Amino acid sequence: MRQCTGIKSGRCGKGRKPMLKWFEQVQDGGSNIVCSKVRLARNWSEYVFPSKLSDEDSREMLNRLHEGLRDLGDLDGRDYESAYLDELNELDRRALKERRILNASILERKAPMSILITREEDISLVLNGSDHIRIQVWAPGLHLAEALKTADQVDDYVNARFSYAFDDKYGYLTSYPTNVGTGLRATAIVHLPTLSMGKKFPAMLNDMGRIGVSIRGVYGEGRENYGALYEISNQKTMGRTEKELTDLVAKVAAQLDEQEKQIREMGFASHRLEMEDEVYKSYGVLRYARRLSMKDAMTFLSQIMSGIADGLVKLKEPCPVFRLMLGIQTANLQKLSDRPLDKGELDVARAAYLRSELPDLI
Amino acid sequence: MLCERCKIREANIQYTEVINGVKTEHNFCAQCAKEMDFGPYSAIFDGEFPLAQLLSGLLGSEWPVQKKDRLSQITCPTCGTSYEEFVKNSCFGCADCYTMFDLLIHDNIKQLQGSDSHMGKHPAYQETLSGSKAQAAAVAKEETEQTKSTKEQQIRAWDRKLKEALRTEDYENAAVYRDKIRALREGKEADA
Repeated sequence: MRQCTGIKSGRCGKGRKPMLKWFEQVQDGGSNIVCSKVRLARNWSEYVFPSKLSDEDSREMLNRLHEGLRDLGDLDGRDYESAYLDELNELDRRALKERRILNASILERKAPMSILITREEDISLVLNGSDHIRIQVWAPGLHLAEALKTADQVDDYVNARFSYAFDDKYGYLTSYPTNVGTGLRATAIVHLPTLSMGKKFPAMLNDMGRIGVSIRGVYGEGRENYGALYEISNQKTMGRTEKELTDLVAKVAAQLDEQEKQIREMGFASHRLEMEDEVYKSYGVLRYARRLSMKDAMTFLSQIMSGIADGLVKLKEPCPVFRLMLGIQTANLQKLSDRPLDKGELDVARAAYLRSELPDLI
Repeated sequence: MLCERCKIREANIQYTEVINGVKTEHNFCAQCAKEMDFGPYSAIFDGEFPLAQLLSGLLGSEWPVQKKDRLSQITCPTCGTSYEEFVKNSCFGCADCYTMFDLLIHDNIKQLQGSDSHMGKHPAYQETLSGSKAQAAAVAKEETEQTKSTKEQQIRAWDRKLKEALRTEDYENAAVYRDKIRALREGKEADA
């Protein structure tokens, strides 16, 4: 399996037992909910927030945080890696963003920052990003309650060592007023290829704001959304408990999943052959193409994803399609290559990656 | 009372001067006051009394600009973030900014979040109430009170966990939380 283990390029799969990352773990089929994430934003009361923290103080704080969290793995017997972000090269940082460990604003920050991350990459702590401590837990499928429980345990572990900036009225104090209160952002990524083609879909996205969730396309630029993946998150972070917020996101995700299923079932009745044909054609292209743009690869993978969920095709070896979607992103392909690739070469590398990674059909 | 200066006209302006803590009171007529040098306050006596200005101030036409200027100069003593900077970047510089700008941001936060009070988790372990550097310098008496309220907060936090555990029928953990609450309560009584 060609997947980089370790957050640094040099250690890419060499001399280490391959460890399945959270997105490589196979889920039960049938659901359109790809994965769940819980993020908690926290600040240590001893230091001013990152935007006002000098580089010197940032380094001191990071050293103290690393020292205090040295045995974090004891909490659940997990193996954590740690790295200062400036030790990583640009490509490794971009790859971490593709794997959703870092976000765009963290990537742009120049101040000293670091991460602690399990080898499965499901639990990560970004230190001195927008806030001092950003705890993030990923899980395949819809497992927001479990992800919250894990994040909660890590949170208590950190809090037992570092006192938080907390206010009885405003809750956990964060750099941005959009995170204050619980500091919680619950997210579910849902695959909605058919629902999103409907005329009423854009209006429905707008209406989501009224019930307190936001929904946006995951890949693609502007109005395009390659792969039909949508990210659902809670908009507000205050005035509701953590459980209420995660329940809300889970409920919306489950409802969209159900609607998507219903529409696809309706399609089955009248257009089963056409749907099957689309899935097999997509498989054929991914299996034999010599050049694939990001848009094409994502579109065909999206077809395979729904084909597997609907039971139209079955792969010989279980392989989460989302893993392939992450695998074909630019920085990962660059990491797998031993030299920089231009756009044309990237399309070739993407096709080669899919030819070798996409399992046979049964 | 006659004007101190001309001793002719009736004095209608009372002028209080404080120099190096020594307070002296003077009574002048409007004409003499105008001729004298009151430093930055001379403008008050230039021409007519600025009644129009005062009224517009009361009615609010001039007020917002002045108020805005004054607000933008409010600065957090802990991290140096000014209100103007906060408005520009929507980013707090430290925990104390929340207290510093509380009156100004309260409505905005309520609008943004649909609520102005935290309903979720409380930190299980909290040494000080908000624990900032500024507050670390608090007097010993306050510290004792803070420890007390921290304990109460902890009890409340464990109590919440206990209720949650009971709700989810997680009796094993519920027993742990119950013992923690008991230990804290006993410790609290010993402190008192």
